[in-house]
Amino acid sequence: MCPRIVRSLPAAIVAFVLAQPAFAHEQAGVAGGLVSGLLHPATGIDHLIAMVAVGIWGAQLGAPAIWVLPITFPLVMAVGGVLGIMRVPLPMPEVAIALSALILGVAVASRLRLPFAAAAAIVAVFAIFHGHAHGAELPGSANPLAYGVGFVTATGLLHLCGIAIGTLTRWPAGERIIQGLGAGIAGLGCYFLAQGLGAIA
Amino acid sequence: MTSNFRCGLISAAMLLIHANAAEAHIVAARLGDFYTGALHPLTDVQDIVLWIAMGVLAGSLGSTKGRWLILVFPLGLLAGSALGHRFGVASTGLADAAMMLALGLMLAAAARIPTSLLCPLAFGLAVIRGAANGVDLGPETDRLLFATGLVCMGYVVMTLTMALTLAFRSTAPDGSASWRTIAIRALGGWIAAIGLMMAGLVLAS
Repeated sequence: MCPRIVRSLPAAIVAFVLAQPAFAHEQAGVAGGLVSGLLHPATGIDHLIAMVAVGIWGAQLGAPAIWVLPITFPLVMAVGGVLGIMRVPLPMPEVAIALSALILGVAVASRLRLPFAAAAAIVAVFAIFHGHAHGAELPGSANPLAYGVGFVTATGLLHLCGIAIGTLTRWPAGERIIQGLGAGIAGLGCYFLAQGLGAIA
Repeated sequence: MTSNFRCGLISAAMLLIHANAAEAHIVAARLGDFYTGALHPLTDVQDIVLWIAMGVLAGSLGSTKGRWLILVFPLGLLAGSALGHRFGVASTGLADAAMMLALGLMLAAAARIPTSLLCPLAFGLAVIRGAANGVDLGPETDRLLFATGLVCMGYVVMTLTMALTLAFRSTAPDGSASWRTIAIRALGGWIAAIGLMMAGLVLAS
């Protein structure tokens, strides 16, 4: 190694170790704004996989589920969010959220074709629980509109992601990939369910 | 040095001595309050979401019904600006949330509301938002210029939003506009959800 590099290496290491995050905006770290709302649905893996699974299942079911879901799901979820903000208790929310990942994952993996009303009812119940959890965790200092815009947009985009992934069903290989993805989501749901029931730490 | 060159030199020196600062913008000519009025609603998410929701709703109903808003909405902003200055405005958070919810639900349901309902709805929304925009002005602000800017921006945003919605709905190359209609309805669902979340947060706080 070149002696000049060897001499400058300790200085470079010290510079990296002492590095601190740079904040480009003065409101960095303030909870409850647009960015906070955007990131909130994406930061919990149990929420994230369930949202994506809803989109994939909607794509598998086809019309009218594929277009009813993006229209109504954010709205139903917002109802749950309001219940959470108002501190209205729901029974075993963590278990219900884990169950949503498990059941939606199984539905995707097995290409479960339920009547539209039954599928909508299942998704609506889970949407309320997911919204409730988000609403209950909402910071008190939140800017209502900015947070709401970020939260709803992120939720809708996660569904659109799921619907986009679901379009792979047009190809046989894509269908198998999606079923594998569904199995993975169900597996994660099992893990979260065991965690919710206290079976694992 | 020739006499012509000397004369030119003196003229150039005189011009340089008498040079004034160049004003690239007419803000310094006391038209700044016009721009303040025009830009003020664009700095508030409430105005942006509500104006766009109203424009998309009007555009989704077609040009025959929607064109009335080009006149009604700016007039409502003007009336609201005057009323807000005269009577003051309490917090509009809950009213804004309720309007977002109502407009979003109408969009999501693809409701075919008549012109006789659309115009009062747009006028009411414009009055509330006009009052909210005009209430916090300082004594040094030229209210007429501010209101003119606000009204012009209302006209521009409403016209553009309606035109874009109409164009979005009707430019499918194969003649089918189904997914475009669904996209507009999905946007309505999102706006309604934002309104619902906002109402909950306002009530909780």
